[in-house]
Amino acid sequence: MAKFVIRRVFWTIPVILLVILMTFGMMKAIKGNPFRNTERNIPAAIQHNLNREFHLDKPWYIQYAYYVKGVFTWNLGPSMLQRNQTVNDIVSETFPVSAELGGLAMLFAVIIGIPLGIIAALRQNSAFDYGAMAFSNIGFAVPSFLTSTLFLYFFALKWGNFTGFPTFGWSGFHSKVLPAIALGLAPMTYFARLVRGTMLETLQQDYIRTAKAKGLRWRRVVGLHVLRNSLIPAVTAAAPLLGYLVTGSFVIERIFAIPGIGQYYVTSVSSRDYSVTMGITVLLSILIIVANLLVDILYGFLDPRTRDLRT
Amino acid sequence: MSSTEERQTDFEVALVHAAEASHLHDAGAALRRSSLWRDALYRFTSNRAAIIAAVAFLMMVGFVVLGPIVDRADPYAVNFGIAYQSPSWSHPFGTDEFGRDLFVRTALGGRLSIEIGLAATVAIMLIGILYGSISGFLGGWVDNALMRFLDTLYGLPYLPFAILTLAIFGVVNFWTMVVALTVASWFTTARVMRGQIISLKENDYVRAARAVGARWQRILFRHLLPNTLGVIIVFVFLELPGVVLGEAFLSFIGLGINPPKASWGSLAEDGYTAYNTHPYIIIIPSICIAWLILSAFFVADGLRDALDPRTRETKEG
Amino acid sequence: MWVGLALALALTIAGSAFAASHASSKSTTVTISIGAEPPSLDPGLATDTTSATIIANINDPIIRLSQTPALTPLHTGLAQNWKVKGSTVTLYLRHNDHWTNGKPVTAQDVVGSWLRTISPELAADYAYQFYGIVGAQAYNSCDPSKADCNALRAKVGISAPNKWTVVIHLVSPQPWFIQQLSHTSFIPTYLPAIAKYGNKWTEAANIVTDGPFKLASWKHNASLTLVKNPKWRNASSIHVNRINIPIIVDAGTALNAYKAGKLQIDTSGFNPTDIPSLKKLPDWHVFPNLGTYYYGFNVKTITDVNERKALAAAIDRHAIVKYIGQLGQIPAQTFTPQGIANWQLINKSKWLPINGDDTASGLAIAKSYMAKAKNPVMNINLYVNNSAGHVQIAQAIQANWQKLGVSVNIKVLEWKQYLQFLGPPPDSSVGAYRLGWLADYPEDYDFLSLWTCKSGNNNTNWCNPQYDSLINQAVHTPNTEARVSLYQKAEALLTGKNGDMPIAPIYFYVGAYLEKTNVKGFYANPLGTDFFDGISVS
Repeated sequence: MAKFVIRRVFWTIPVILLVILMTFGMMKAIKGNPFRNTERNIPAAIQHNLNREFHLDKPWYIQYAYYVKGVFTWNLGPSMLQRNQTVNDIVSETFPVSAELGGLAMLFAVIIGIPLGIIAALRQNSAFDYGAMAFSNIGFAVPSFLTSTLFLYFFALKWGNFTGFPTFGWSGFHSKVLPAIALGLAPMTYFARLVRGTMLETLQQDYIRTAKAKGLRWRRVVGLHVLRNSLIPAVTAAAPLLGYLVTGSFVIERIFAIPGIGQYYVTSVSSRDYSVTMGITVLLSILIIVANLLVDILYGFLDPRTRDLRT
Repeated sequence: MSSTEERQTDFEVALVHAAEASHLHDAGAALRRSSLWRDALYRFTSNRAAIIAAVAFLMMVGFVVLGPIVDRADPYAVNFGIAYQSPSWSHPFGTDEFGRDLFVRTALGGRLSIEIGLAATVAIMLIGILYGSISGFLGGWVDNALMRFLDTLYGLPYLPFAILTLAIFGVVNFWTMVVALTVASWFTTARVMRGQIISLKENDYVRAARAVGARWQRILFRHLLPNTLGVIIVFVFLELPGVVLGEAFLSFIGLGINPPKASWGSLAEDGYTAYNTHPYIIIIPSICIAWLILSAFFVADGLRDALDPRTRETKEG
Repeated sequence: MWVGLALALALTIAGSAFAASHASSKSTTVTISIGAEPPSLDPGLATDTTSATIIANINDPIIRLSQTPALTPLHTGLAQNWKVKGSTVTLYLRHNDHWTNGKPVTAQDVVGSWLRTISPELAADYAYQFYGIVGAQAYNSCDPSKADCNALRAKVGISAPNKWTVVIHLVSPQPWFIQQLSHTSFIPTYLPAIAKYGNKWTEAANIVTDGPFKLASWKHNASLTLVKNPKWRNASSIHVNRINIPIIVDAGTALNAYKAGKLQIDTSGFNPTDIPSLKKLPDWHVFPNLGTYYYGFNVKTITDVNERKALAAAIDRHAIVKYIGQLGQIPAQTFTPQGIANWQLINKSKWLPINGDDTASGLAIAKSYMAKAKNPVMNINLYVNNSAGHVQIAQAIQANWQKLGVSVNIKVLEWKQYLQFLGPPPDSSVGAYRLGWLADYPEDYDFLSLWTCKSGNNNTNWCNPQYDSLINQAVHTPNTEARVSLYQKAEALLTGKNGDMPIAPIYFYVGAYLEKTNVKGFYANPLGTDFFDGISVS
């Protein structure tokens, strides 16, 4: 087991290096002057000064070396647009907000979605089951920009005085409810359907039928055997869901005016703030890589078969 | 030969004899093939949810194809006098800020969204199949290296890279959008394809066919492909909604197809700024997207059940 | 008994004084939305209007301009008086301006800040504002890694002979230099704070300023808070204690917040769909914004001047302003905008039709010019950047030019790509393109100098030596009347009937904001900076 973990951790380093290289390559391929924001052209002398300040006058491999060193010492450089801020500043201000949003969304998805799936499976083909599945399907299919807009319009604008939800911002509990639900809706439906499916499958298994036939208490059977086996696939879903939360947050943050990393990313790409763009991309990649790693390790713990297969 | 292989050869021989007896050439293959597909078709049609979904999907396709033909309004005509009209008899989906008919624009937008979706799905499929097949067929160190590289690529978050790709191109049109959507989406396909190829390579009856001396074309076309074809078709229906949604997201954050052409996503983005006063402009394309996603998903579900009988039994409970 | 009366009197006086002081210290808070996060609050590094607004309110600008269309320099800024003699400008600073740490604002602060902004190490975008000063351009162009720039620094023509006097030597007698000093890039900074805190000196805990408001807190991307500076020289004229500025990027979200009563002033822009309903409210205010929205022609592609005149004449400016702009923009017949000093005289040669509701006459004029064109280009690539408004205008103009038989391909590029594509020189595929120009200072030179041959902002390939010489002369002509006549000739060469028409002006910008009816005194100046010091709430 330890060998397995060490191997997986070891492999993340070349992965991160490759991600940095690809991001760097892509950024270099994007045309456009990061310093020119308005119609005013920048006089040549000033352009030289700016290029010098941000090492853009050096050959690409030197810039790349600067950058790799920066990532490994966690000093991601100054922002080209916000001259008094470094990328570290920006990330440390915006990332916790997005992380909190994602975390709350996940919490919502798990707390509502899993019980929904369990009950639907136990009461298969009942009205509850059909209702829950219909709700799941709608929640999964309707794009999050529509649900967010509708939430904002009804709960925050029209009935705002009654519900107390503000129309923008991220301070205080009230402002976090609507965005978290809007972002967590799709994962919630995913969990509900997944848990329902795996529970139904598990319930068919011979050993469960045997237990039932043997007269073991149904609650204990469900709680001990069925649930544990059904929830394993839910764990592996965590990693791709992280990807969804990252992309979903781009839109939700824009609509609810949340100062998170998602909406910052789009602005930094369009304004060609190379350092911020690269910093955020590399950060998100590292996050996903680490999440995949953790899920792999966790799965290795939970399901011994995979450990051997994966060497 | 092992006893299993012995038994299979006997079966093949018997089948060929029977076919020859009834003067049917290659009946063995024909029989086997038709039983797989016809069986699947039967199972699909008896699945109520799948039929409803298929009808819904076809309805949407019909709308986007026939809509602009039935409704003759010009989707690009600027007429400020009739701007922002609510849905009415003459304009079933209302008009936008330029006075353009939204029924036609939604249908055309659907064409563009679905075209982009299909193109991206095909691209994802081709790249995935190519990568996965090479890796699976060749095996050994090539397989190892390719899979390690693939593991790396898994670390690339899809949306940021799509945004970067569009920024590199600088212009958002059909092809650049397809490339952007494909760039970070083909990894799972490659992995799945590789898994399929490997499992099929190891499959008993393929081994048997090889042992009997069947040529690789026969193996490929008679055994491997018909099985994977099912997987491929299911895959198309599963991947399409994701890609269409991805395009909608990119449009919504401002990286959509350049006007005056529209896709569902860019129509929704136009509608977002007006949702306070004219909510129908964002609601209609969003419902179209949801419709497509749901119908495609359930068709995929139904197809998967139909083509792989094992899963079906457990679902019935 | 007398003691009793005296006591009663004393108590009454004390009581009313107490009540009065309490009444005047009733806390007034106003919440304003100004748009996205200001990229920098360093006067040397700020390049956009949001940053400029905050900087202008927490600092004391050297020159304040009047709130009249003439934009006359007032004596209420940091510079109490000034003297202009030929190419030498002398500023006399007031003695009662202090930094928030109590130290006085001196001429040495001004000179030191300006040298910092001009220095190549700072790489300030707006260093070019200083190029009119002797030696500034040379110092700014120096490469510190290759040469010793300190020698050039010493040669820059600014000095502080005593604590309250700043002497500036200009390259030529620029009569508008005093008005130019109102720009935020000239605002002095407290150099010891910069030395101590480095890049972080603009954080609320570190920043040292000298204006009517202080930066109380700055939560990046979330909000800024300004509070009244009680030690400001004119503190009694400020009637608002606290200004909250939440950062709301989306115009629709800001409008929702305004409607919900969370904002008292909304200046962050509006979605076109909301404008018709907002125009009817008493909260709605429109103000002129000195600037011109125009289409440029690539004169190497559209070579025939008659075709250019035809295309310029065919644009239905009135419809664009009424249906797409909707803010009450002013249709433009010349490049010099309304509001520039002496604009009516300068624009004497205007003739381009506005195409009111009588579209026929404008089209007739356009067609007559088109007929005179030999070998006109009938297929044009029109480049715009991808913003909804620009694309809409492009489509409207596409329809206009269609009537002349010219077919237009609208090509939309993303902003940065677009800027690079236009050069100068513009890519050869460019037939026409869209840009705008907003004033740095209210003198026509800022506008007309764009079209000189070597200007980095001339994307048309147009080069006319006669035009260049007129502009060059204007810089050296302190006499206003003479200068205005030079501008007049230049404008005629540009957009006049016998001009070259390298550009087609479309409209002059305006801005709009919402202000609750019980709030007064917010001032948005035509150069794009907003001032909060006059705000009062009733």
